[in-house]
Amino acid sequence: MASVTLENVTRMYGAVTAVDQVNLRVKSGEFVTLLGPSGCGKTTTLRMVAGLEKNTGGRISIGDNVVSDADKGYFVPSERRRLGMVFQSYAIWPHMTVFDNVAYPLRIRRRTDKEIQDRVMNALRLVEMEQYAERPSPALSGGQQQRVAIARALVFEPEVLLLDEPLSNLDARLRTQMGDEFRQLQQRLKITTLYVTHDQSEAMALSDRVVVMHGGKILQVGAPEDIYRRPESRQVAAFFGTPNLLQAKVRNCRPNGGQYYKLDVEGRGWSGECHAAIEIPAGADVTVMVRPENLQIGEAGAANGGLSWAGEISQAIFRGPHRSVMVKTADQTLHIETPSLADVGIGRAVTVAAPSDAAWAVRS
Amino acid sequence: MTIIHNRSLDDIAETGPTLGGNAVTRAFSGGSIGRLIGMLALIAILGFLTIYPLAMLLYGSLHSTPPGLAGEFNLNGYRAIMTTQNFLVLINTVGISLAKTVPSLTIAVFLAWIIARTDTPFRGTLEVLITLPFFIPPILTAMAWGMLGNPQVGVINLVWRSISGSPDPLVNVYSYGGVVWHMCQYSIPFLFLFTVDAFRAMDPSLEESSRMCGASRWTTFRKITLLLMLPVLTSSFMLSFIRGIESFESPLFFGLPAGIKVITTDIYESINHRATPDYQYATSLSFAIMGLMFLLVIWQWALLRGKSFQTVTGKGFRPNVMELGPWRWVTFGFCVLFFIITVVLPVGQLLLGSFFRFFGFYTYEMLTLEHYRAVFSNSEFWRAVRNTMMLGLLGATATMALGAVVAYVSVRTRWRGRSLIDGMAWLPWMMPGMVLGVGFLWAFAMLPGPIPIYGTVWALLLAYLALGTPVAVRVMTGAYHQLSYDLEECSRVHGASWFQTMWRIMVALAWPAFAVGWVLTFFGIMRELSASILLYSVGSETLAVVLLKLWANGNAEQVSVIGLMMMLLVILFRWVQLRFIKARISKL
Ligand SMILES: Nc1ncnc2c1ncn2[C@@H]1O[C@H](COP(=O)(O)OP(=O)(O)OP(=O)(O)O)[C@@H](O)[C@H]1O
Ligand SMILES: [Mg+2]
Repeated sequence: MASVTLENVTRMYGAVTAVDQVNLRVKSGEFVTLLGPSGCGKTTTLRMVAGLEKNTGGRISIGDNVVSDADKGYFVPSERRRLGMVFQSYAIWPHMTVFDNVAYPLRIRRRTDKEIQDRVMNALRLVEMEQYAERPSPALSGGQQQRVAIARALVFEPEVLLLDEPLSNLDARLRTQMGDEFRQLQQRLKITTLYVTHDQSEAMALSDRVVVMHGGKILQVGAPEDIYRRPESRQVAAFFGTPNLLQAKVRNCRPNGGQYYKLDVEGRGWSGECHAAIEIPAGADVTVMVRPENLQIGEAGAANGGLSWAGEISQAIFRGPHRSVMVKTADQTLHIETPSLADVGIGRAVTVAAPSDAAWAVRS
Repeated sequence: MTIIHNRSLDDIAETGPTLGGNAVTRAFSGGSIGRLIGMLALIAILGFLTIYPLAMLLYGSLHSTPPGLAGEFNLNGYRAIMTTQNFLVLINTVGISLAKTVPSLTIAVFLAWIIARTDTPFRGTLEVLITLPFFIPPILTAMAWGMLGNPQVGVINLVWRSISGSPDPLVNVYSYGGVVWHMCQYSIPFLFLFTVDAFRAMDPSLEESSRMCGASRWTTFRKITLLLMLPVLTSSFMLSFIRGIESFESPLFFGLPAGIKVITTDIYESINHRATPDYQYATSLSFAIMGLMFLLVIWQWALLRGKSFQTVTGKGFRPNVMELGPWRWVTFGFCVLFFIITVVLPVGQLLLGSFFRFFGFYTYEMLTLEHYRAVFSNSEFWRAVRNTMMLGLLGATATMALGAVVAYVSVRTRWRGRSLIDGMAWLPWMMPGMVLGVGFLWAFAMLPGPIPIYGTVWALLLAYLALGTPVAVRVMTGAYHQLSYDLEECSRVHGASWFQTMWRIMVALAWPAFAVGWVLTFFGIMRELSASILLYSVGSETLAVVLLKLWANGNAEQVSVIGLMMMLLVILFRWVQLRFIKARISKL
């Protein structure tokens, strides 16, 4: 398996910069996901790695080989990059059977019939589609087409696997199931994978590392948990779920003994402790992020370490697994997720609290 | 709403409570009497336009004397066409059509690929230029090429002789090659219009995934692109092949002088060029060619059944334009060259021919405006202009109206008899203009005395109506298929009557298709020659007929003038269409 390296990769469409100075290294056998809102340049980045689009700036290497260098005008066409790709539309050729679709990459490489037969059936078995081999491919469901597309991408053992929103055409239940199956397959084969999605939970569940993109630029690269719990900027923080973002001023900053810093912050009508990735001088403005599931509702007046707010319950929505509660405080309305069993009374005066390691500050 | 999903509105009107409206609208929307009258009227009209001439054709082929004379029934006509000479004619017809379809399709696919899939500069303009020859009446280009490629005095040969000094001509259009060459000029843009959107609509990831699998561009083109296009290519091939068999102008102009006969010119000759017209022979031959067409249409059906690949997916779709680098100027040049050969050269020849006293003698002293004067002071010319415009405007409107109604009944209602109507409207599809002309010749002659249609412009109008109906129905069927039933039903639910719904929703939404069809039909009428030449008489000549008569008298110079006028008209209409009607012809 090979690594993929992008150095200052840029793509312009006329005056529009679709991808702007992207630097990324996908290690051998790693599963990396490009995540971001629509139009942020995920597909363009993937297609540049695939060689379906030429980068207008920077350099792309696969393994030890440079495959595209804009400055030197060097470009290896897609068919010689030894990549597997799964398209968003699956791109299953409708004039061929399932078998012929999967066999195509091998036939192009002029393998013997015996080898083709063995490897295609192996690939189909991998995705549990061997009983469909002789089906004409238009007679497949969305999920089956997706499996065929994966089998086709894997059959010639590519260096790297590229996937562009492969699950977005499936329904919610199938999406989770196929995602988990695919992750298992990837870990078993240890194949380097670059995956594009705009679904946050999919990205977190599947990847070793997530790349958050916005406006053609990379905002942050990190393990799913890091990105979710310790975002580097307000934008990344706001991208996942619906966190509470509060304006505050730093009173005091000290190392917490580990990798991070502990801050004393003060907002409008509240104060307390939180964490940050970097040292932030006293007096600086910060945004404190607290996720709804980490907030607890207690009796009025009760307080411990961390952060706490006094307020009054203004709204409660039953959502099945949990209950969304809105608490009006002196600063702003907080969004809290509580277990749905707990009963809440609208208008009740309460204290909302969060432990200090669930509150994360970024410079605003 | 899902229950009534694929039922038509009128079932609902029948079974459910009527939504709004008074007794009259109810009578037309659901009432059986109004519907019956409407259907009978449609059947009568279509019957007169298609079944009646067909029946008369059959009658004529079995009857020994021309229409109106006493005679007997026999099989002499069919016996007469069973000759070895006619076998040769058949081989010629099929051979020439094949010979023009194969290269035309190749070039058309190449052009379509250039326009739809490469970054060739000025593609939008090029597309308009490439498709222009489709709208030029073939009789114009035929005459222009007759002058360009004439072995003695054609411009090409004059230039060739003065460059090379050789006494032999470079080209001679009066040959098999000439016939094929001329047919190609019309076929290529026709096939281009047919295939270009298939290229455009294809999901590019189907090709890209082939490249990702390690296939080169060329392999991808062969194994994926072409095979995916196969259904479209097959149907265009068949269509073009059928058109080739029906073709009249090319073999008339370039085949007959060289003794090359095809079926259409043979029919024409047996009526127009014999001391006594042999009607029985002509009708028998017409019937034979219809049999051939029928077989071809059946074959086409068999080939295409269940073979349409829906390749448009929409999701994750991005336009895939191949970057050609410096090669894009080569493809650009190819498109321009095509335009020059098919439009600039013939139009230039017409211009040249119109300003010199005699065509072929292009010297300064020969410059003159006398042909323009002669044409503009010729009352026959003006009458032909009036006739053509009148027939074009009226014919296109009537054809499209009929097509819109037939398509509506067959697509959007469940009325009994709708497949009969559909079938009747489709019949002329198998009849070349020549054959339909012969059929109508008999049909009009057999009408009872007090209905004097034969010899008037109405004869032509009826023939055009019949010839245009299949295309009109096709265009409108396509348009209706794209309008969901919800639109119609929603209007009814919100209180509009059937008529109001038709007018405000259906007409409002379907009119772009109607307009495109109208323009197509109008051009069709303007270029129609083979039926007109049989059905016209003094006073009801069309421009195409006048052109042919002048040409036959050797008056190539005035032909050039009239040809130029027609070209102007074509360009004007095409411009109006491109400017004001956004719907695409090839989409239908
Ligand atoms: N051929 C093109 N010409 C001009 N601009 C383009 C072209 N292709 C993409 N873009 C622009 O580049 C930007 C990035 O597009 P891209 O398709 O990579 O987005 P994406 O992140 O994949 O979005 P989505 O989640 O919607 O698929 C967009 O703003 C888009 O409009
Ligand atoms: Mg995308």
